[in-house]
Amino acid sequence: MKVKEIMIQDVKSISPESNAREALLILEQLQISGLPVIDAQSKLVGMFTEKEVLSYILPSYIEKVGRFIYEENPKGIKKKLVELSNVKVSQLMRRDVVTVEENTTLCEVARVMLIQKARRIPVLDSTGKVTGIVARCDILKALAREVQEPHEGV
Amino acid sequence: MLKKFFFLILISVSIGFLTMRIGLNSHQSIAISIFCASILGTLFFWDFRLSFAFLGISVLLLTKTTNLENVIKFASLEVILFLVGMMVLVGQMKAAGFFAWIVQLILRIRNMTAYKFVIVISFVSAILSTMTSEVVSIIFMVAAVLEICDYFEVEPLPFIMIAIFATNVGSAATVLGNPIGILIASKAGLTFEDFIVKAFPLAMVCLTATVALLLVWYRKPIKQLEANIKKFGANEMLVRLISVPPEKELKISLVIFGVTLLFIALHHRLELLWGLEPNTVLLIMPLISSGAVMIWKHSKAREFIEHDVEWWTLLFFMLLFAQAGTLKYTGATDVLARNLAGVAGNSPSFLIGIVLWISAIGSSILDNVVLVAAFIPVIQSFQGLNLNLHPLWWALLFGGCLGGNITLVGSTANIVALGILEKERNIRMTFFKWFWVGLTVGLVTTVFVWIALLFLPIFL
Repeated sequence: MKVKEIMIQDVKSISPESNAREALLILEQLQISGLPVIDAQSKLVGMFTEKEVLSYILPSYIEKVGRFIYEENPKGIKKKLVELSNVKVSQLMRRDVVTVEENTTLCEVARVMLIQKARRIPVLDSTGKVTGIVARCDILKALAREVQEPHEGV
Repeated sequence: MLKKFFFLILISVSIGFLTMRIGLNSHQSIAISIFCASILGTLFFWDFRLSFAFLGISVLLLTKTTNLENVIKFASLEVILFLVGMMVLVGQMKAAGFFAWIVQLILRIRNMTAYKFVIVISFVSAILSTMTSEVVSIIFMVAAVLEICDYFEVEPLPFIMIAIFATNVGSAATVLGNPIGILIASKAGLTFEDFIVKAFPLAMVCLTATVALLLVWYRKPIKQLEANIKKFGANEMLVRLISVPPEKELKISLVIFGVTLLFIALHHRLELLWGLEPNTVLLIMPLISSGAVMIWKHSKAREFIEHDVEWWTLLFFMLLFAQAGTLKYTGATDVLARNLAGVAGNSPSFLIGIVLWISAIGSSILDNVVLVAAFIPVIQSFQGLNLNLHPLWWALLFGGCLGGNITLVGSTANIVALGILEKERNIRMTFFKWFWVGLTVGLVTTVFVWIALLFLPIFL
């Protein structure tokens, strides 16, 4: 089975020019954790996820400081949350995006997801346009279905 | 990029030909040319500077300018192993919460005033950098300064600058403060005691001068902070902001670190007592402690080596040291030393000035390790001219550390701190915004050191 058979074709995306606060609201409304960012030429330019927002609002040095516990919410975090409306999606998005082509096999997509630690992967056609998106759970469900119905399509 | 690459090749080859023209032999010229390419590699292509070090050493071997035996001999494995040990130790201290604990102590300053804050961040920055290295120290100081400035709603930049300047000055005080400290100690045979007796007091004098100067330079932001402290009242929220779990791990880590520092401090006595070669205990102490840490935290042992040790930097250092060693091996630095001594009219005082100012100005543009690595064989060559080397080593150490304050790219601490500031507050430092205050601090402190090296009998 190829990824194009199971991918979600109705891909919700966001423009790199939108503001990050609006993008975050869309994530909340759709109850998803990330969206592909697609520019005016229909090219995939990045991924905007909750993780990127979290790493923006928390200080970048927290990992370097080592072990500690926040007992209060620092003032800076609230300030950064307010400032989200002045920040463009392009400033926060992850630019290094893992993608697969429509004819990639499910196992190959699963391998890429595991190696690249990706939760969802945009699927591109031969012209580089996003035609779908596939999440870890879609792959697992499809693989499980293949096991249950081994002769289907033979 | 292609243009820069072209310049790198052109300048390096031209310097090679030029040195041949003035009478150096082909091996000496190749050694100088390759070292020059490595320096330019760090200037133009910082992100992948290691590639020039790899290629450079290969050319030196292929052209028989050096041999494998010398590459290994000059790579200064003892310095690299010392740094590996310290990095593992610092990694464990970080994981145990030691640095967050320091940040917490600063956030809890009682009856905070602006002057108290400036003095505390300056001295804690300097002391932390003397114990753990400038790059490690600056991250935690920036974290503390940003939280405090956020709380009192003041611009953090001046206070970050104060922490950076103090960190760079403090890094000259002991062998642990800066990689050039251990490099110079190892090559010059200086002990930790020498640093404590000579470098530490001088660094503290420079620090006091720096703080006094910065209190005047940044009087307006300090006044603003003072007003905001009065407006917001005590730092109650900051006192509670973070906590560090008071676990056994932190206490054990502190004991290991304390014992390491104690043995490093006493290394010279212990070496005499046990009849060991000079600096043996100094160089192996971090290895013993990090070895113990890896037994204690055996499930994380690999992680310490893979994540906490900066192999990229250390590999670059090794190859750079080997290239600088080739300058010595081919005799290129002997020629340079003879010429420098000639310029100085064989006057030691004049030579001290030359080494101090060249290393200060040079390290304001270049990585100070690159500069010191190049200078070490030159100073060693002065020995052949029957000159007293002692003050020259201190001139090199202080020049290399204090010069880092002159420009915003002068030291790794500057680059790390400004990187965090840009990411966190979108504040971008410009060359000239840094330069005037940096130059003033750099000049004043270097003049202090110059006077001390010329007139204090302890340095003669």
